[in-house]
Amino acid sequence: MTEWIAAHWRSLLLWALGLFAGGVALALLIAYSGIYNVAASAGHHPWLEAFLKMAKDRSVIFNSRSVKAPELEFAEQVPLGAAHFQGTCAACHGAPGQAVNPVYAHMLPHPPDLQIHAAHWTRAQLFWIARHGIQFTGMPAWSGTGRDDEVWAVVAFLEMLPSMTEADYRHHAGGHSEARNYSAKELVSAGRPRLDLTACSRCHDTTEAAPTSPYIPRLGGQDQSYLKRALQEYRDDSRQSGFMEPVADDLDDEQIDRLSAYYAALSPASSPVSRSASVEERERGRQLAEQGDRARKIPACLSCHTEKGREDYPRLAGQSEPYLRQQLQVFRRGVRDKTPHGAMMSVVAKRMTEQQVLAAASFFASRPWQAAAFPAGAEKEKDSRP
Amino acid sequence: MKTVSRRWPKLILAIALITAVAGCSGEQSALAGFGPVASRITLLTWIMFAAAVLITVFMGLLTGLAIAGPAGWRRRLAGEKSVMWGGVVFPVATLSVLLFYGFSILNAGERLARAENPVHIAVVGEQWWWRVIYLHGDGRTTESANEVRIPTGRPVEIELTTADVIHSFWLPTYAGKVDMIPGRTNRLHFAVDKPGIVRGQCAEYCGGAHALMAFYAVAMAPADYDAWLAKEKADAQPAARKAGERLFLVSGCGGCHTVRGTSADGKVGPDLTHVGGRVSLGAGILPNTPDSFAQWIGRHQKLKPDNLMLPFDFFSESELHDLSAYLKGLE
Repeated sequence: MTEWIAAHWRSLLLWALGLFAGGVALALLIAYSGIYNVAASAGHHPWLEAFLKMAKDRSVIFNSRSVKAPELEFAEQVPLGAAHFQGTCAACHGAPGQAVNPVYAHMLPHPPDLQIHAAHWTRAQLFWIARHGIQFTGMPAWSGTGRDDEVWAVVAFLEMLPSMTEADYRHHAGGHSEARNYSAKELVSAGRPRLDLTACSRCHDTTEAAPTSPYIPRLGGQDQSYLKRALQEYRDDSRQSGFMEPVADDLDDEQIDRLSAYYAALSPASSPVSRSASVEERERGRQLAEQGDRARKIPACLSCHTEKGREDYPRLAGQSEPYLRQQLQVFRRGVRDKTPHGAMMSVVAKRMTEQQVLAAASFFASRPWQAAAFPAGAEKEKDSRP
Repeated sequence: MKTVSRRWPKLILAIALITAVAGCSGEQSALAGFGPVASRITLLTWIMFAAAVLITVFMGLLTGLAIAGPAGWRRRLAGEKSVMWGGVVFPVATLSVLLFYGFSILNAGERLARAENPVHIAVVGEQWWWRVIYLHGDGRTTESANEVRIPTGRPVEIELTTADVIHSFWLPTYAGKVDMIPGRTNRLHFAVDKPGIVRGQCAEYCGGAHALMAFYAVAMAPADYDAWLAKEKADAQPAARKAGERLFLVSGCGGCHTVRGTSADGKVGPDLTHVGGRVSLGAGILPNTPDSFAQWIGRHQKLKPDNLMLPFDFFSESELHDLSAYLKGLE
């Protein structure tokens, strides 16, 4: 055998090269002639279907092998993932009790029903798909650059999805938003507001209830200028969030004004103050918040984040600990430094130690919520600033 | 080759001239010492320079003799005696005299300070500015920044420490140079004869903005100094209070800066209580004008890259104007 190869290797090489060149030429010819039908309506031949599925599955498995799942409280993130899924994913993938929109049902490949298919993937693989998307399938990559923390909330939801009933799903995805019966006249003239993107109360607080997850910020009583700035920054893609960017993208200036005014005036539900952290932890946080850390050149948090601060600075007291911690981590990763305000806070957050992040978050979470709309805030002088 | 050989002397001459002119001119010069301490350092510099020239010429002559001189000279030079006297005794004697003369200059300021009632000032090197604390002798202190004011005719003792890395406090025209070393307190003594404003700067590489870490020393007649110090001790007297002060406070500037008499009590950055009355801004890099304040607040990372002040890129033009008016008014 080896002798035969040794004697004929030249002709073997020529044959191999010839076959390869012929194959390339044939592929070019088929592509250029246009005889291959790319119509979605034409479908894939079963062997091609199997081949493409094999290539896609193998690619997901191969590329997701380095993904490490963080140790998070997954259950608390389910409402975020569910509400986002309802707003942006369900149109293609369908959801419990909601068939796929007929337009997207005619895509090729068909977007999979995740109530069945989510269970086929591991946690890391689900993350990788939601984070990076899949070429040629219509599955987009995550729209919030650098916000892997948000993708994990979607993963938390997807892991729950196969075991969810329709009622479970509505509960998680609908949050505090209301489904009501519309009269024919309302349907005819205004259309039916669905459990759709811009229903803020699917996630955020109402007069009666706190946000649906501790990873979601309270908005009621927040400063109006801050709320307006946040929505504008989400809309122009300078603040990154795969959850909020699609929502803000649907809003025009007037709607942003109205929403920020609404939430600024909303007196929030009195929710129990978080006491999860230890007393020492909160005490460390209080010191940092009141005095800063001179050695690390960190100014006192309360020099900006109080009811006396600028209207476009956020109030933090009473915000939940997981949300504050997560946002500080986002600042530390440099994900929020594309806006002028974020660039400032990024510098501060990067000077903080991991322990200071926890301490500051637990201190602010343990404080009573200070709202602009509360009587105490009403005496604040409101000069007309140009 | 020809062009190079023709250019070299001109180039060297040009570099020497530029260096000499830059060194002699004006407010930051190692060759123009004012006051008893700095003038003695200058004298020492000239003595060493002159001696070095003499020794160099002498050694050149000896080398010439050793190579091409008469046989008798060459024999004598190679002898043990000349090696002993020229190579051991002469350098030891010369260097010892210079060393003890140097010590006596170091002590001159300290003797001066011990003899009379000195002015006590503490300067802390920070990345990349100077925290200046006037010690009043009764335990009370007044903090300022990036400017050292001293009365003429009285010895000055400056305590030098650092908050972070090694810096070096260099005030050539008045005092010389002493390092600021973590964990140590160094002292610098000097006195100034006549009023004037000179510049000093950090002379030990201390990180990104080291080259832009300067300060001014202002020597004032005793009566002027006392009046100035009384004003400096007092709380801020803003000339333009309204909009600018409110903006300063609500924007969180007080998290890092102190303006005595307001709620701003941050200790991270320079004290701004009387910032409007200082010679410079940004640690010696901008003239103190209202426009400089606006420039600094709006573009400080471009003017002094890597400095540790937080970027405030969101102030509008009119907000910058209000802030500048307020800060310039803090005299």
